[in-house]
Amino acid sequence: MKPMLSTDLNVADTTVEKAKIEVKNLNFYYGQSKALKDINLSLPERSVTAFIGPSGCGKSTLLRVLNRIYELYPKQSAEGQVLLDGKNILDRSQDLNLLRTKIGMVFQKPTPFPMSIYENIAFGVRLYEKISKAEMDSRVESALKRAALWNEVKDKLNASGQSLSGGQQQRLCIARTVAVKPEVILLDEPASALDPLSTAKIEELIDELQADYTIVIVTHNMQQAARVSRQTAFMYLGELVEFDRTEKIFTSPREKRTQDYITGRFG
Amino acid sequence: MAEHTVASFDEDLRQISRLINDMGDLAGSMVGGSTRALLESDNALAQRVVSDDAIMDARQRELDDRAITLIAKRQPMADDLRHVVGSIRMAGDLERIGDLAKNIAKRVGSVGVSTAPRDLTHSIDSMAQLVLIQVQAVIQEYTVGDATALAKLRNDDERIDVKYTSVFRELLTYMMEDPRNITACTHLLFCAKNLERIGDHVTNIAENAYYVLTGTQLPANRPKQDETAMSAPAA
Repeated sequence: MKPMLSTDLNVADTTVEKAKIEVKNLNFYYGQSKALKDINLSLPERSVTAFIGPSGCGKSTLLRVLNRIYELYPKQSAEGQVLLDGKNILDRSQDLNLLRTKIGMVFQKPTPFPMSIYENIAFGVRLYEKISKAEMDSRVESALKRAALWNEVKDKLNASGQSLSGGQQQRLCIARTVAVKPEVILLDEPASALDPLSTAKIEELIDELQADYTIVIVTHNMQQAARVSRQTAFMYLGELVEFDRTEKIFTSPREKRTQDYITGRFG
Repeated sequence: MAEHTVASFDEDLRQISRLINDMGDLAGSMVGGSTRALLESDNALAQRVVSDDAIMDARQRELDDRAITLIAKRQPMADDLRHVVGSIRMAGDLERIGDLAKNIAKRVGSVGVSTAPRDLTHSIDSMAQLVLIQVQAVIQEYTVGDATALAKLRNDDERIDVKYTSVFRELLTYMMEDPRNITACTHLLFCAKNLERIGDHVTNIAENAYYVLTGTQLPANRPKQDETAMSAPAA
């Protein structure tokens, strides 16, 4: 692991690593109400970053800005910059479909399409690529292998995606995300509805996926953030309070608000 | 520090702190008792120190149990995590201090009254005073949360090392002056070494306590003044 030096600011110096995503002076509004206040942070490539904080702190909002999925809803707006490889994705000229192939997202509740396991994965690929049946077969297989689901479903690829268990459904969603070859994967509470064993499988998967993808995870489970991420951002009331190496945040955070939250002294 | 949302978490942490305090008090009384027993050839006092060691061991086991249970139940973070892990380590050092004090107490009978002239024990007496002050201060400074005092206390161990070197030389001289002193002086030398080791454990406790309080480690290197490994008896 390359060292990341802490600075006097409450933001870790990640300049020694290539930043995949840089958030600059980001403000976000739900109508008149300001949900994110001047967020600045840099997410290093091919590593896992966790966003933690109490409900309503803005961590999911920040995640939703990163692939502009908030635009599906009226009266939500972002100002500032979110640079993906140096290019501002908040720019009006940004092609949203292209953006969402580059930045995939997995939600809290598994959301398999009401179709076969095979089609759950092939569907997204077909939207962007024209490939032969053989190529598609191999793409589906590799995506399912990547999501550590292949061995469990290889004999029933035509069964409905919704017939799988919750943990399997969530891994199917990750396979679906991986199949369109994204660069960044956003995970919004991906294991909060799963049992401990399924959670462990998802965490193991996250660990493997970071070799190839930049991963951002929102989680209420602090132990999970401590286990899976390399850097952690603590947010509170729409502000980024502290951003640093995960081990620093969970053993000796600089900010009292961070300390109070992670030790269970809030409120 | 604000209270935890879960009140019983605070109580669990307080119990661990209480045990560290108890063990610190006991360590102080054992070190004080064992050296007084040695200097005054007080066999009854020495016996009490020996039996106190069982209490010390029991306290450490209780602390270990509580700390492990707390980690399993609460998954402490940040200062709480440092507090619990630091307490386990400090308890280990306090338990060792108890062992070393017991070891001194056990030699009281061997040194004997007649064979240990008062003047042989003067320098051990002043060394023991230094050690006792350190043992008592370290838990006190930790309890009041004075990290600066802990850093200073750690460096003060140097004075014990210097004292140990001079006791070592002095006892060697007595042995060369009169071979009849050899048995008593050898036991006293072991006692002095035990006191010096107690000082080292106090240093460990100070380092751990500093980390618990601040989240940062003291620099690894501390001046060392024990030169007995290099000094040979004068011809």
